[in-house]
Amino acid sequence: MKTEVILAGHGGQGVLELANWLAYFHLARGRHVAYTPSYGPETRGGKVKCYVVASDEPIDSPIVEEPDLLVAMNIPSMDYLPLLKRGGRLLVNSSLVKDARSRADVTVTEVPAAGIAAALGPYSPQKGRDTSIAANSVMLGAVLAIEGEELERQRATVEEVFRHFLTERKAAYIPLNVQAVEDGYRHVRGAPPLLRAIPV
Amino acid sequence: MTAPRQFLKGNEALAYGALHAGLQSFYGYPITPSSEVPETLATQVGRPEYPEFRTFLQAASEVEAINLMLGAAATGEKTMTATSGPGFSLMQEGISYAHGAELPMLIANVNRAGPGLGNLGPEQTDYFAAVKGGGHGGYRNVVLAPDSVPEMASFPSLGFSLAFRYRTPVILLTDAFLGQLKEDLEFPTIESPTFDTPWAATGARGTTRHVLSSMHIELPEQNLVSRHLRDKFAEITRREQRSEELETRGARVVFVAYGICARLAQRAVRVLRDRSVPVGLFRPITLAPFPRDRLRALVDEGVRSFVVVELNTGQMVEDVRLAVDGAAPVRSMNQFGGLLPSYRDLVDEIGALAA
Amino acid sequence: MIAASAPREAKFGPSSIWTGTPTHYCAGCEHGTLTHLIAKALAERDARERTVMVSSVGCSVFAHEYLDLDSVQAPHGRAPAVMTGIKRAHPELLVFSVQGDGDAASIGLLELLHAANRGEPITIFMVNNAIYGMTGGQMAPTTPVGMVTTTSPEGRSVPQAGYPLDTTKLVASLEGPAYVRRVFFPISPTPAPDFFNARGALEGMQAVRHAFDAQEKGGFAFVEFVSTCSVNWKMSVLDAKRYAAQVLAPLFPSGVLRDRFGLERR
Ligand SMILES: Cc1ncc(C[n+]2csc(CCOP(=O)(O)OP(=O)(O)O)c2C)c(N)n1
Ligand code: SF4
Ligand SMILES: [Mg+2]
Repeated sequence: MKTEVILAGHGGQGVLELANWLAYFHLARGRHVAYTPSYGPETRGGKVKCYVVASDEPIDSPIVEEPDLLVAMNIPSMDYLPLLKRGGRLLVNSSLVKDARSRADVTVTEVPAAGIAAALGPYSPQKGRDTSIAANSVMLGAVLAIEGEELERQRATVEEVFRHFLTERKAAYIPLNVQAVEDGYRHVRGAPPLLRAIPV
Repeated sequence: MTAPRQFLKGNEALAYGALHAGLQSFYGYPITPSSEVPETLATQVGRPEYPEFRTFLQAASEVEAINLMLGAAATGEKTMTATSGPGFSLMQEGISYAHGAELPMLIANVNRAGPGLGNLGPEQTDYFAAVKGGGHGGYRNVVLAPDSVPEMASFPSLGFSLAFRYRTPVILLTDAFLGQLKEDLEFPTIESPTFDTPWAATGARGTTRHVLSSMHIELPEQNLVSRHLRDKFAEITRREQRSEELETRGARVVFVAYGICARLAQRAVRVLRDRSVPVGLFRPITLAPFPRDRLRALVDEGVRSFVVVELNTGQMVEDVRLAVDGAAPVRSMNQFGGLLPSYRDLVDEIGALAA
Repeated sequence: MIAASAPREAKFGPSSIWTGTPTHYCAGCEHGTLTHLIAKALAERDARERTVMVSSVGCSVFAHEYLDLDSVQAPHGRAPAVMTGIKRAHPELLVFSVQGDGDAASIGLLELLHAANRGEPITIFMVNNAIYGMTGGQMAPTTPVGMVTTTSPEGRSVPQAGYPLDTTKLVASLEGPAYVRRVFFPISPTPAPDFFNARGALEGMQAVRHAFDAQEKGGFAFVEFVSTCSVNWKMSVLDAKRYAAQVLAPLFPSGVLRDRFGLERR
């Protein structure tokens, strides 16, 4: 197994976090991973673009030149579309990218990440607060669905990812983020959001 | 750590690698893209996990940092700094003095782009400054070049071994890409060797005192000392050349690359081998001493030409030409300014050679 | 270094020195304010054609993108030496630099003190935000005891890093300088005063003018601007201003420490 992903968006969307989570998910599955944050000219003007490679074999170049998957969190990210491998996958955050133009050979998946995250509000321990910040976790669920992971069997791995990154005060957000991953995953698989009890 | 494997930035791995190797003191001055090294170490000083690591000091400048290290090294302590080009320039005087007095120390240079302030992208433009010696008086550094996060973690240990075995400054030459890259790694169970330092200045005992000086005012005396330094580097060159090869067996063309360029070349070699093109990769691990013996041997094994890939306008290519000594053509492929070549450029280069 | 803020021509009036390029300074950063005051002071004296700016290394490094002036880049900390070289070659030029506290008081302290001691007729503005802003929040020599930075994760401690360095006092301890002043620069956040009514900006404007006057009268001028860096202090802009008022103002008291030409009396 080997996947190469470009994730792009702008500062404040949690793109780098998302990329770290994705890489760590694969690491926890026992794979080799390489994550490259934005660097050089790409970092000016708030642009974010990063690479995640995951592979059962040791990774040669960590630089993603022909991704299997492009995660486009905003409109300028669509500039990377020509890089996609033939038959590659495009995942767009349709909360920001409307009517994603695409290529004939590319399969497009649209996920209204902010909307799905915001709908979690009443069901999360953060009820009453704006939960649309969990949009990047929704996208993580979507990526896992596209990459063919079986979330039912990988729930513990997802929790491990969040336990690794969300420590101390942020740990309170782990349940919300796991829920967001679930709903992002289900959206791609064509299933409705999970029915959850409202915490009391 | 819950996960069996760790997920660290190159610069963080370098910091932890140094701690595992028994680092005792760190002196440095912040500079992007190396600052994660001091920032990581600042959180670890005084921790029970690393009882030997007692001193972390942010110096007033790189000039002060390298001189703080001269003092620490003179007592036989394992001392290190991390910097990038502009700071590395300021350290050259101190490095020269360290050679003159034969003081072991580890200096990591996370190479950024351009002369002057340049930019924060990756380059390999400090090759000459590190390998040929950027300071005065004619000394030779030992220079190590990791190409992955796991090597960023394991090379401090190798660096200290060489530094103490030969009483020499060792440069760990890496780049802005590897410094920021995150990879999985299994923390090597690095042994933290202790070294005999009978030369250290920690107080005269009986008839033995320790004079660590680079001044030899009598001409014949300086002549002797310089001979000794020359012979020492000759011995290092005989014994410590390190390199790694990928698919060089049966290869007609071989890439020569280090650091992040070696990773790009790995990709190019895999792609070309899938197309049955006989290419390989030769990766110097010690840039100094340059692994010339093994490189030269490749010609006898049938390699017809070499392509040197580096992030500068052509520096290591000179050492490759010296090693090959006219026995095969050596071509230079460069990218710079903080930009990286595409692995496809490497593939095309071979296509052009084959045509 | 994150958000781009729009140029403030509306409030300052168009300046012949201002390029109009949107600045890179973070919201609320005094670097931006100072750059505007300098543009205004130079425009007032119509000095564009006889001014050379020396860029130091820190968040002031892009000043040449906003100030439409000749400029020369100095290595980190060496601006006073580069300025001296320019001034000695062309004494008729107005030569100035904006240095950070790290630039001036850490790596460049030697160049600063010697230029001051020789009384070189140059003008130095030091933005003291008590931290290394450009490189992401490491400890500076001016960092208050107890302040958490990326290289003092437990807070600055005296045994480890000594006391905060009082650069203005050091400069004023020398005979050479003609004009030495410290200004508390953050504009008080309450009750949302109009920018120009704020004391910090008014005092700052006066100090910038006098620092150029002093140079034109042949003296060395140094002004420290006690400032904030909300991003690297990890505070909101308002909290940063408050912290500056509570912690930095007593540590670095405002005042005119040297006024050899009696500029303040006029
Ligand atoms: C020789 C050298 N060392 C280190 C650096 C990295 N560096 C750039 S700016 C800076 C410090 C900036 O802090 P300060 O002077 O306080 O300015 P501020 O950004 O806070 O205004 C450092 C350490 C450099 N450019 N050159
Ligand atoms: S000094 Fe701090 S607040 Fe000002 S521009 Fe630099 S990082 Fe931003
Ligand atoms: Mg500062």
